[in-house]
Amino acid sequence: MAKKKNTSPDEIDITIFEWVGGGPTDPKQIGVPFCGGCHPGGGGLEFDRDGKRYDQRLKAEPTLAQSLDGDYYKSKWDKSGVVEADCLLCHLPGYNFKERNKQLKMYNFKWAATAASGIGQVSGFVREDQQPTVQYNKRLFNEDGKIALDLAYPPPSENCNFCHGISDAKKRGFSWNDRRNHDVHNARGMSCNDCHPAIDNPALKVTKLQHQFAKGDENVSSVRDDLDNTIMTCRDCHSQGYMGAPRPTHLGVRPNHLEKLACETCHIPTLHIAGGEGFDVTTGAMVNYPVFNLKDLKNSPKQIGDYFDWHPRYQRIKRGQLAPVNALLGVFFTNLDKDGIYYPLFGRENKKAYEKIKDQLQPKNPMKPELHTNEQIKLMLTALTETLQGNKRFQQIKPYYHKGGKHYHLNDKGEVVVEDDHTHAGHVEGFNINHNVAPAALALGANGCGDCHSTEAHMFKGQIVTDMFGPPDGKPLTISSGRLFGCQPWAFYLNQFHQLYLSPYANILMLLVVFGLVLHYTGQGPKVADYYKSPPEIVWFPLSERWTHLFRMVSFLVLAFTGYIFFFNNITLLRMSFGTPQTAVVVHWVAGLIFIAASIASVALWGKYAKFAPYDKEWLAKKGGYIGGQEVEVPAGRLNAGQKIFFWLTGILTLITGVTGIFLIFKSSLPLTLSCVMSTIHGFFAVVFVASIIAHAYLGTIANPGTWQVLVHGKVSRSWAKKHHSEWYKEYVKQEEEEKP
Amino acid sequence: MERQNVPRLAALLLAGLGLLLFVSVAMARERACIPFHLKTEDGKIINPLTGENADQPYSPRQTCGACHNYDEITKGYHFQQGWDRISDDFGKKMDKPWVLSDGMLGKF
Ligand code: HEC
Repeated sequence: MAKKKNTSPDEIDITIFEWVGGGPTDPKQIGVPFCGGCHPGGGGLEFDRDGKRYDQRLKAEPTLAQSLDGDYYKSKWDKSGVVEADCLLCHLPGYNFKERNKQLKMYNFKWAATAASGIGQVSGFVREDQQPTVQYNKRLFNEDGKIALDLAYPPPSENCNFCHGISDAKKRGFSWNDRRNHDVHNARGMSCNDCHPAIDNPALKVTKLQHQFAKGDENVSSVRDDLDNTIMTCRDCHSQGYMGAPRPTHLGVRPNHLEKLACETCHIPTLHIAGGEGFDVTTGAMVNYPVFNLKDLKNSPKQIGDYFDWHPRYQRIKRGQLAPVNALLGVFFTNLDKDGIYYPLFGRENKKAYEKIKDQLQPKNPMKPELHTNEQIKLMLTALTETLQGNKRFQQIKPYYHKGGKHYHLNDKGEVVVEDDHTHAGHVEGFNINHNVAPAALALGANGCGDCHSTEAHMFKGQIVTDMFGPPDGKPLTISSGRLFGCQPWAFYLNQFHQLYLSPYANILMLLVVFGLVLHYTGQGPKVADYYKSPPEIVWFPLSERWTHLFRMVSFLVLAFTGYIFFFNNITLLRMSFGTPQTAVVVHWVAGLIFIAASIASVALWGKYAKFAPYDKEWLAKKGGYIGGQEVEVPAGRLNAGQKIFFWLTGILTLITGVTGIFLIFKSSLPLTLSCVMSTIHGFFAVVFVASIIAHAYLGTIANPGTWQVLVHGKVSRSWAKKHHSEWYKEYVKQEEEEKP
Repeated sequence: MERQNVPRLAALLLAGLGLLLFVSVAMARERACIPFHLKTEDGKIINPLTGENADQPYSPRQTCGACHNYDEITKGYHFQQGWDRISDDFGKKMDKPWVLSDGMLGKF
């Protein structure tokens, strides 16, 4: 918008007068609002920046229209009148919004309220140098000349949608009273005002009369940010049951999901009308692009608002949560001035250059040049360099083209240089999506975790456009949705490995282990040992060791059980066993801490026996006698080489899962990248751990019948000890001899 | 119930019902806007039935403002859209000198 004070016509962008009355006036578009259409009037449409009424001031000082005053430059306020706040735009059901736009575009500013309300008909247009006249609809008036209007309080949603239906369709695929692009609150008969009433809050010094409507915390819009979050939140209504809002239990949802994700993330999975993908101002006009149909580009929606199903982009918002947004990608030009600032070029500046090269460019559609090759970009930048010469608003001419996170400019040799765009123009910020809420049964997660965590799901793998017309062929460039969540790319891929391979294939790994063991069992059979032949009389494992093992075993079982529930998000099992996910989480990490403690104790108790000795080589060479199903004599200490390996393996696995697990207790306070890494490592090694414990349990039970009894009384027979733990037995006997009186 | 009490009770009931009806009508009307004269920008009455000033458009400020506090109402951000904070220097601090306010009137 034009500044109030200007030193040259070059500095004057769109004036407030044009802001109100601009826009195309052809019959097809005359009813479509330009800026002023959606502005209800009052404020800047009535008073200039000195607080004076435009019409009165211009009548008094007609030369202002020829001055460089941004409020009056080339204006006709004296004839058009001002736009007072049109109360009926919001309060009159059946208000004719198209008529308002027509009146404004024809400069009939002060007649707009009369014509659009239908109270009177207006003929004649100021834009066509006519003096408009009014013909009132007399049937609306009482005998005494008073009018009785059926005004709505609060304003009906339909009226809000005159403007919000257009602007918010573009920003976020919003529509209301739309069966296809449905909203669960709308379907329950709620209106805009139910959530966005006039604020009446002494603490904020805002009275109801002031018409400040409760608002959320939109990312991009900045007007009256001090009134942000005056709206009731989802949580407010749904915990208090306000207006009958059901209380959600979210039993199937991981607790951290409820913390880290905005409600909207799961509850607005899909929008059903096309929002805007972005805009391009190369031609001088704002050309909007509806969201692309990436699966079939040619069948992309024709215009914003067309029925089309698409999924949002996700971005961390001010609340710190991941929330659905729609980023309007901007394609535009700036000039880098001497002060180091990239000044966006005015529409007319772009237009002048574009008109010059249009024929050379030969775009398929002159309205949509979609510059993407270096040649095209060079043409336009060269044209701008020429047409901007002498432009009084700049001290230096250095045009830049901004598109898809890159900027392009010409170097001294006139070649195009491409660089990452770290300027304000390269900053992509999405418009929050918080309407068109789906019924709970359609929310993400209603069909299980696979709604997001699967190869097909949009949440991580959906493609998000980053450049509407990318090099080399002008096709859109995209990125996986999950890459925008704010973690490092490699952490994203690690997480993908977790979701797409580890989780789905972990049970196959388990099955393979079990299958291998079954093969072993059927092939080798249980080992024929003399475990039962002679009575167990010597203590192999004293009580302290048995208890340590018991603690490890029980806590491991709990860990594996709860871990299984988390790994596969088995809601049924979770509800049956723990009720809420929170309980299961706490049980898991408490069991984890016990397991770690018991593991430390076991290292203290067994560490010295688990040191490798020379005879272990022989044991390993004979494969511990595990193959063959026959009892083979192999040298071994108190622990045989296999047990030693297993002992250290569990030690290492405990260390890895333990350390990562301790981090994960604080998962919700970890940075995203760290928590991604930790949970992938934890998950992966937990799977390995469970697989090895299955093998361990097999060897300790059916593969070697009777062995498990050692866990109970800790004793073995002499003959068995001699055969299986020869070195230890030798020592045992020696000690026994020594102790004999 | 004694006979002579019946008419009394009936009367009482009727009175009660009447009161209810009155209250409900009164409550319904309480919020509704009453009939009013349209007014021109200069505050003159428009009466299309007599033709008084009937060639002029009505002014919301004069018409609605006669009973409602127009100035207070138009303080809302929908009306101001940043105009209440607009200044040629607004964007200088953030190195965006073209930004004149935080609302649609001046943000671009
Ligand atoms: C003669 C005085 C008068 C004028 C002029 C007037 N109003 Fe009202 N209006 C009232 C009164 C009295 C009420 C009821 C106030 C209340 O209950 O708080 C009211 C209520 C309203 C309501 C709430 C309606 C409802 O159904 O609850 C709206 C909206 C309203 N007026 C809009 C307007 C608009 C718009 C105009 C101008 C076109 C206007 N009024 C002109 C006196 C007036």
